[in-house]
Amino acid sequence: MSSHGDGQLQMTNLTVGVLALQGAFAEHIKLLRQAADELRLQSNDTLQHNTHPHASPHTDGVPKDADADADILIHKPYSTSTDFFNHSFDCIEVRNASELARCDALILPGGESTSISLIAERCGLLEPLRDFVKVARKPVWGTCAGLILLAESANKSKSSGQELIGGLDVRVQRNYFGRQVESFEADLDLPFLESGPFHSVFIRAPVVEKVLTPTSSVPSASSDDTVLAPPRQATRAQVEILGRLPGRAKTIKDKTVHAEDLGEDGDIVAVRQGNVFGIAFHPELTGDSRIHGWWLREVLKAKTAQREIGDTDSPKSLVTGS
Amino acid sequence: MSLNSSTAYPDRPSAFRSQSNRALNDSNDSSPPSITKSNASMASSDPQSTFAVKAGLAQMLKGGVIMDVINVEQARIAEEAGACAVMALERVPADIRAQGGVARMSDPSMIQDIMRAVTIPVMAKARIGHFVECQILQAIGVDYIDESEVLTPADPTNHVDKHQYNTPFVCGCRNLGEALRRISEGAAMIRTKGEAGTGDVVEAVRHMQTVNAEIARASSASDADLRAMARELECDLTLLRETAKLKRLPVVNFAAGGIATPADAALMMQMGCDGVFVGSGIFKSGDAAKRAKAIVQATTHYNDPKVLAEVSIGLGEAMVGINCSSMHETEKMAKRGCRGSDCRQHLLPIAQIDHIFM
Repeated sequence: MSSHGDGQLQMTNLTVGVLALQGAFAEHIKLLRQAADELRLQSNDTLQHNTHPHASPHTDGVPKDADADADILIHKPYSTSTDFFNHSFDCIEVRNASELARCDALILPGGESTSISLIAERCGLLEPLRDFVKVARKPVWGTCAGLILLAESANKSKSSGQELIGGLDVRVQRNYFGRQVESFEADLDLPFLESGPFHSVFIRAPVVEKVLTPTSSVPSASSDDTVLAPPRQATRAQVEILGRLPGRAKTIKDKTVHAEDLGEDGDIVAVRQGNVFGIAFHPELTGDSRIHGWWLREVLKAKTAQREIGDTDSPKSLVTGS
Repeated sequence: MSLNSSTAYPDRPSAFRSQSNRALNDSNDSSPPSITKSNASMASSDPQSTFAVKAGLAQMLKGGVIMDVINVEQARIAEEAGACAVMALERVPADIRAQGGVARMSDPSMIQDIMRAVTIPVMAKARIGHFVECQILQAIGVDYIDESEVLTPADPTNHVDKHQYNTPFVCGCRNLGEALRRISEGAAMIRTKGEAGTGDVVEAVRHMQTVNAEIARASSASDADLRAMARELECDLTLLRETAKLKRLPVVNFAAGGIATPADAALMMQMGCDGVFVGSGIFKSGDAAKRAKAIVQATTHYNDPKVLAEVSIGLGEAMVGINCSSMHETEKMAKRGCRGSDCRQHLLPIAQIDHIFM
């Protein structure tokens, strides 16, 4: 939880891309810019007042009821001390490999995962994306359809299968809650965010159904409609669960079940593994930039760490944030 | 007709929550009679039917192509091509035009077959003002309802009160006033009307130009001018103010009606549409699968003429089409639907939409 000496950094450029093949990419760009402006203001304040901008991370919201799989690492709070002031920030739409090559980090937006992966395949972007996520190990964040694409395995896929990028050793279930009439809004307690619950929108959303063991032994497709991402370099990083949809939210959906019956051990809707972060809902639809701000600070930390280690070292060693 | 698909929807109390338009309209204040929990869908506190959730799906469709399909085989071709949704209907607009007669909602079993066959969202059309067809489509669990001028209108004066449904609606428009009236009534997505089934893009261009010009005018207008403009366009002032501030429609806006080539799709995207509906243009052409893929690529890379050139090569025969300028005015579907002054206004609380396009 030590903070880096960010104040001494030279002015560097941070380029964050949003995959703009299909879906709600414009919304992400808007919130990223908003979050960057807020971070810049915060750093500015810090420089002027010489005080730490963030309260110490609290642990109250961390789920402790881990009857979950033993290999799941429960989320630990992170240092949020990262200085945004010395960075010029650039946010671009990514539609081809040369635009992707400019990016330090990437967001895969919500949309239709089948459309996005088919379009990516046809513009020769699938392999560059896999290299970006699983070889270069640059920070990547997927929301909803993006989470599906970043999963190593997905089920309920279309009849002739679906290409995945991979990067998260999880299996997601597409359209877990059902069709559009089952879409909903809910407040989530996300332990990595300060200042209260996050109001989130779930649209034909997936959930993380299972955390897979992060080894090379990827299971073979268990049924016809389950698809797998092609393997690349394995990572040592473990899958951390960063958010669950609480039972009480589930009862909104299904009025025959009471929250008490389900307990607080809800469906997994936010995970991270090293450089890859995935969530099942849509912060880009809310106007709340807190997750974007948190992620940008994480991106900056990764970039700073990379600079400190130097370019000679393997980028693989940067994968964990903890 | 089997309605009990196991996957389509759970046993929520109701599919048939929404009652007759008029019944609700007349008894706005007093609690509507009988049907238990029927009010749930009306209350914005129901986290499932909020405007953000309805408009949110449209936002997920942006940058994509929604294709008209008439059977499972076509739906699979559309999904393989990268369509972000399909519109299930019995006859594509070109056939409705050719065959004439009354065009109605499709057989629910045909829509359900398509829903089972693909994983992307499935939309279906209801006649303008036919709120029972909308109730049926909601009951079978379609993801979006298109209250469409392509079908024969069922109500000469009123559109459906779309706030009453959990399923979101898309509606056509020819100008800003029409778009904002539909949004007032609860539409969570707008499309140009264009002239369906012609393969002639001119009407879609005209409608988008009109909307753009009116938004530009509103954006530079004073508040007093906006009041006058709201009267002129016969639309809600609050929504007009919001549009002026955003410099765009407050919900997602797709192009529709006459799009037949990748270049047509890119043209509409460059004019500021958020995505494209393609009706007869795909499955009335020579090589449907290839054309469908090409239109999907063109919609993503709409600003890259090199890609547009590549995908436009060797597509085979386009749909023959009908030149809109040679059509009689009474043949135009876009004229269908009621005028502003005839329509009830349902004020949508602005708080519900103001964060959609921030």
